[in-house]
Amino acid sequence: MSSVLEFKGISKYFPGVKALDNICFKAYGGEVLAFLGENGAGKSTLLKVLNGDYQPTKGEYLLDGVQKHFHSPHEAIQEGISVIYQERQILLELSVAENIYLGRMPSNRFGVIDTGKANKMAAEIIRDFGLPIQPTTKVKDLSIAYQQMVEIMKAYSRENLKVICFDEPTASLSDAEIDCLFEVIQKLKEQGKIIIYVSHRMKEIQQIADKVAIFKDGHYIDTVVTKEVPEQQLIKMMVGRDLGDIFNNLDREKEIGDVLLDVRNVSSDYVKEVSFTLHKGEVLGFSGLVGAGRTEVMRAIIGADKRKTGEIFLEGKKIENRSPKEAMDNGIVLVPEDRKMQGILSNLSVSGNINIALMDQNANRLGIIDPEKEKEAVEKGIRDFKVKTPSPDKKIVELSGGNQQKCIVARGIATNPKVLILDEPTKGIDVGAKSEFYNMICEFAKQGLGVILISSELPEVIGLSDRIIVMKSLRISGEVMREEATEDRLLQLGMIGEDTHE
Amino acid sequence: MSNQKNKKEHKLLNLIGGDKLILLGAIVVVFALFTCLNRNFLTWQNMVNLLVAASLVGIVAVGHTYLIIAGQNDLSPGSLAAFSGTLAALLLSFGMPAGVSIVITLLAGVTVGLFNAWMVNKIKLEAFIATLVTQSVIRGLAYIICDGKPIAISNKTFIALGKARFLGLPLTVWLMILAFVIFGFILARTKFGRSVYAIGGSSEAARLAGLNPQRIITLCFILIGVLTSLGGIIFAARMNSGQPAANINLEFDAITAVILGGVSFAGGVGSMFGTVLGVILIQAFNTGLIMVNVPTFWQYVARGALLLFALTSDYIRKQRREKELLEASMRNVK
Repeated sequence: MSSVLEFKGISKYFPGVKALDNICFKAYGGEVLAFLGENGAGKSTLLKVLNGDYQPTKGEYLLDGVQKHFHSPHEAIQEGISVIYQERQILLELSVAENIYLGRMPSNRFGVIDTGKANKMAAEIIRDFGLPIQPTTKVKDLSIAYQQMVEIMKAYSRENLKVICFDEPTASLSDAEIDCLFEVIQKLKEQGKIIIYVSHRMKEIQQIADKVAIFKDGHYIDTVVTKEVPEQQLIKMMVGRDLGDIFNNLDREKEIGDVLLDVRNVSSDYVKEVSFTLHKGEVLGFSGLVGAGRTEVMRAIIGADKRKTGEIFLEGKKIENRSPKEAMDNGIVLVPEDRKMQGILSNLSVSGNINIALMDQNANRLGIIDPEKEKEAVEKGIRDFKVKTPSPDKKIVELSGGNQQKCIVARGIATNPKVLILDEPTKGIDVGAKSEFYNMICEFAKQGLGVILISSELPEVIGLSDRIIVMKSLRISGEVMREEATEDRLLQLGMIGEDTHE
Repeated sequence: MSNQKNKKEHKLLNLIGGDKLILLGAIVVVFALFTCLNRNFLTWQNMVNLLVAASLVGIVAVGHTYLIIAGQNDLSPGSLAAFSGTLAALLLSFGMPAGVSIVITLLAGVTVGLFNAWMVNKIKLEAFIATLVTQSVIRGLAYIICDGKPIAISNKTFIALGKARFLGLPLTVWLMILAFVIFGFILARTKFGRSVYAIGGSSEAARLAGLNPQRIITLCFILIGVLTSLGGIIFAARMNSGQPAANINLEFDAITAVILGGVSFAGGVGSMFGTVLGVILIQAFNTGLIMVNVPTFWQYVARGALLLFALTSDYIRKQRREKELLEASMRNVK
């Protein structure tokens, strides 16, 4: 009998976000079901609800007709539901066998752990998987791919394993390692396990998944048989509309002026010898893989991280930017990537969040703040950026992600900057709000601001930027003009580092 | 229909602050209870005594309000108050004028604040642990400078400070009231106050928004240092002596009062008005226990219970805030 996993009306709300909304569908044993969706579509959240990491706000799920409710991932594992994450959840200092049987090592009748027996049992599993590793090897001595295998074996070693989920498992694997993983998945499939596979990579999904469940903005859209639906249509279902149109309809009429910002040879603990220029009215894209150092360059420029070498010139004048405050006073503001931890002040209102950067203007010589000026500033911000909030005194965390982000941009713009740095400004924001941001960015450039746009979404960087700088391994690896920018070329520069264009 | 009614009630609650209403209720209950148990509780004289007893805790609690909202804490005020009283007495015994002694002692308070801030900002210690260090060191210094014996004060000006009254209330009470009013205003209406809330909510976000969290933390530690020293000086003036063993558990009462008043241990939330109510509640409680002859040892247990109550209500408030947020966002995201 093959297992069935059924989701019945699962919803999960977070402050400001409906991460999952009434999810209903079934997954069957002996099939690989891929979850497909954009960042923030709810795929990972659903996995976390499934394995007890999150409690659903509403709804339930049934495994083989029995309703399950777990309070922790540990409980879920004991009931045969395992999730393998991108980040390894294993103990590097322990051996392969010790990791597989962690917390349930076989012991003799005196309660002393029987390592020999554990090694023997682990060896059998390793043979099943056909891997060239020893049970006694310390996990830290294995490659990333084999470390991941240990995790899978750990799940597999439970006799009652029914559901195994992979959350972006191939993010840090080489092609050969991916093949190895797929072989194991194939084996698990033959044994009738329910396999859920979350990935962004269309090629892999085509290769391994029997069916694809599509998610969009917290909604479940549909499940389709992989072979029956062409890739283009899958993407359309997942994005919901053709993003190309949005970019084509942007008003990009403007003049690019003189050099505004000149960054020379900047290094910090996190980036190496970065130099670039930004012109008035220009949108300068920063592309590259996550961890390539894009955010860190900006942090070094505004003085959030200490600069070790390098000089910065703004309109030809040398500036120091020893702190974000000094950068702000000089006319450079950053809208950070991590909105929740670095962008919003979660305990303050919309007004408090916008006015926090304007205290110097709002206060008199004694430091006493004029509530009238604050009111004016926040109302202007709400009006200019079309922030949807019932009142300026609403706590910012009560707003949706997109509106929170608008407040942070409004805060930056209110300081009258010359350079605006946006770090992944549309991350976790729904498509509607995204296009608002795109128009906003074009408008800023038109007004003569220099805009730096860091984004991992290639269509976004290509669609908005006049020029794109690509980073790899903490350095700039190339620069591409808008006319020559293609996704392939940016990926090439970001992953391999050399430009094979010419 | 009922929804509308709910909204109206909500407005009323918001006017005084929903939490404050519960706190006011608790104060009424405590006052009523002790008045029933001892007729002398609710008399003018006893109320003045209560305010005098509350004054030192109140002055220190002003500092704790800032610190805890900024996401920090301080366990050293008990030691610092005793040290300050002893130091002032020592300086007076050398024949120094009252004014000079007071200024030097206040500077000692600033120094202790700077030291605490240095440990937190530069060595990156948790404030709780860092100020535990200071607590022990300063208490030790208090004993060392006087050879372990209280120092009697004979300076007339200084003693007059302890006896001074205005409109029937002693100077120490006025100092507390002044501290509440001035620093309440600064917290609510100035750049500095706003910055304290901002860094307490999220230090890194505040820094990127142009604030200097380390400087603000330093100012908060200096503030509590100076206030504590001032409180210790007045205490010594009232006692006519500097006592190195005095004021043990002062920070305990002050922190309990601040948390009772609605400041969150997590930082970023609270108000000075809440602290005022918290100070009144804790002092009524402490005074009441003495007046109804609860044995001393049991008073400790009772104070512990009150702190537990404060912490529990802090926890419940936090839960409720999160629940409200969740509900609000469910309404928001359609």
